[in-house]
Amino acid sequence: MNTSNTSRCRLISVAPDPVRLAEIRRFVEETAAEVALDAEKTFDLKVAVSEACANAVEHSGGNHAPLEVCAFLYSDRIVFKISDGGDFRVPAAHSRSDWSNRGLGLPLMVALMDEVCIAKTRGGGTNVSLSLFL
Amino acid sequence: MIVIDDWSYMRSDMLVSTERLEGSPLVIVSGEIDHGSSGALQTKIDTFLDCGDTVILLDLSDVTYIDSGGISVLLSTVRRLRSDGWLAAVSPNANVRRLLEIVGLKVDHGFRLFDDRETAAAAVQKMAGH
Repeated sequence: MNTSNTSRCRLISVAPDPVRLAEIRRFVEETAAEVALDAEKTFDLKVAVSEACANAVEHSGGNHAPLEVCAFLYSDRIVFKISDGGDFRVPAAHSRSDWSNRGLGLPLMVALMDEVCIAKTRGGGTNVSLSLFL
Repeated sequence: MIVIDDWSYMRSDMLVSTERLEGSPLVIVSGEIDHGSSGALQTKIDTFLDCGDTVILLDLSDVTYIDSGGISVLLSTVRRLRSDGWLAAVSPNANVRRLLEIVGLKVDHGFRLFDDRETAAAAVQKMAGH
């Protein structure tokens, strides 16, 4: 990733609780407004970040380590990094056939973002980074 | 691994009301359909599915956000209606429409997309053979 140009950073740290997803989307909206991102790209970012966070909340497994969403604003791109204390998991096969249709989150992130990176951390957590070119 | 099956306790910013359009249920949704609010929408749709309705219309004009939580509800409903009916999205905004295209709903024969209620009403009438 090109990080040579100067960046600004905004951070939100919340409990890994599904009720905080709407709050995280407001954070994405505010961040997108800072770089005057258009409505379409803002929508895509909200969906992608929300999906990454929903994943993180789901596999946090009762772990209370905070869910951190960090936005990096570069001259040519905007990057959201979602860090949590759990393993990235593929939704359980048994839950796919029912109403939940789990497992759509990752394909949506890939379809909507220009770059998606999922990395495990040494401490047993997961970092998801989502980039959109400006 | 913990699978959270019950998201119903989550705070939601979604309102649902229902009407009838040419005899078929028209579910009017406004706000955000996410993992928190989708359960309430599914419950509402299920009441019509359980009553045997084969055409269900969703007015999405005032839906500002949808993600995999909401799309899951649409996919499940389409699966149940596909054999003898369809689910329709009526006047979704451009962003919501784009997401429905990405997940392949637009090309599913159990799903229809209408620009407005008038077009939807005409299709329901045609389906009923009037």
